[in-house]
Amino acid sequence: MILAPGVEHRVSKRALPRTPSPGLCPIEPVSFAATSMGGRLVVHLEAEGRVEEARRDNRRVIARIDRWAARLTRHTDSSDLSRLNSDAEFAVPVRPTLAAAFQASVAAAEASEGFADITLLDARLAAEGMVETAAASRRGEWEVVRGERGEAVVRRPPGLRFDFGGVGKGWIADRALDLLAAWPSALIDADGDLAIRCAPGKFWEVGIDDPRTADSVLAVLRLGAPHGGTYTRWGVATSATSVHRWTVSGIATHHLIDPRTGRPAQTDVVQATVVAGSALRAEALAKAAVIAGSVEGFALLERARVRGAVLVTSSGEVRALPMTLMLLGS
Amino acid sequence: MNAPQPAPTAGRAHAPRAKPDARPMRLALGAGGLAAMSALAAAIVMPPRSAAQYANSAQQPAASVDSLAGPTAVQVQRPIQYVQLLPGQTAPPGAAVINGSAPTPITMTVTVPAPAAQPPVVIKTTASGKVIP
Repeated sequence: MILAPGVEHRVSKRALPRTPSPGLCPIEPVSFAATSMGGRLVVHLEAEGRVEEARRDNRRVIARIDRWAARLTRHTDSSDLSRLNSDAEFAVPVRPTLAAAFQASVAAAEASEGFADITLLDARLAAEGMVETAAASRRGEWEVVRGERGEAVVRRPPGLRFDFGGVGKGWIADRALDLLAAWPSALIDADGDLAIRCAPGKFWEVGIDDPRTADSVLAVLRLGAPHGGTYTRWGVATSATSVHRWTVSGIATHHLIDPRTGRPAQTDVVQATVVAGSALRAEALAKAAVIAGSVEGFALLERARVRGAVLVTSSGEVRALPMTLMLLGS
Repeated sequence: MNAPQPAPTAGRAHAPRAKPDARPMRLALGAGGLAAMSALAAAIVMPPRSAAQYANSAQQPAASVDSLAGPTAVQVQRPIQYVQLLPGQTAPPGAAVINGSAPTPITMTVTVPAPAAQPPVVIKTTASGKVIP
């Protein structure tokens, strides 16, 4: 079975492997690494001997990822996003890539009950001491209207600036995986956010980084597809306050902004890893779990019907949703 | 013309010459005839030898111990243990046939070192970014 790009393949919980099935085979991928989106990008393919073809497709995918990232980044003035952020007009037409990213950010905000918010750039810069004032979420102040050919018009108050952040990275990982539809098993590692497709009878092993000890793994998940079933898509993302940290006036702070306050989240969760059906959804929900804290975060993750979640609290505890146990490997 | 006849010797009578006894000769001839008849009968009733036997007889010359025993050599005819059929030949009735293309299987136990276990490929999910001082 060859997956068509852009087609979403949903897998019910009933179809998921109940336990790490002993009948499933580990995937031995061919991996290609590159630097992209300000971090490390690795494409893993189950090449089955077609290494040259895999290398060619890998180059094609990385080139496409670079083009998408160049349009969505806020770190260059020439990107589509930067031009939108600096546009003084109320309604600004944007090209299909930016339009699709805006549409994905709407889905991420809905899945995370508003915690994944792309309107917090000024709050983030204020937390870094780059700007004086910051507002809380301005989520309700903008809208995107898509056209027939994929383009869109973004309507927002001039001065409202956007930052896709991890949501953009998750969206890019999912789209890149669609480009590799000819490969039964593929994995896009966008600097730790993973978009995964697995062929029936196979599984990928994904290790969760342990924030308490350098270069150690908290747990290993087996993300597979049952024999005789269909291809399974997975998304895994990790969000943490232990990375992207800095001090302002001697006070340690981090980059995860609480949209309710416009300030770095005060939370008991140091790190959250979420397993879902797509990298975009996993990224949004992992960020939400950290910002919301362990109690509210777990409730949110259960409502979102994620496939698994592991949280590390500031006291050093490791907590997981029960269904995560079904995914634990050896 | 009448040839002079010797005068008969007085008192010496001429007895008729005795013929040799024919019975020993008859016995000898009879015995020889019987032997010849027996040989002929034996040659007629002896079963024919197969072509394979002739072939192997040619291929397997009688073992000779001439070189070992010197002038008192004795030729020893070894019994034929097996024959190898040529293409188109058939085995004699009752012969055990061994198929040359199916040799007796030999079981060999070979001990090889176990392959080194491949380390599993584990992809890590991490929070991205760097610590900003």
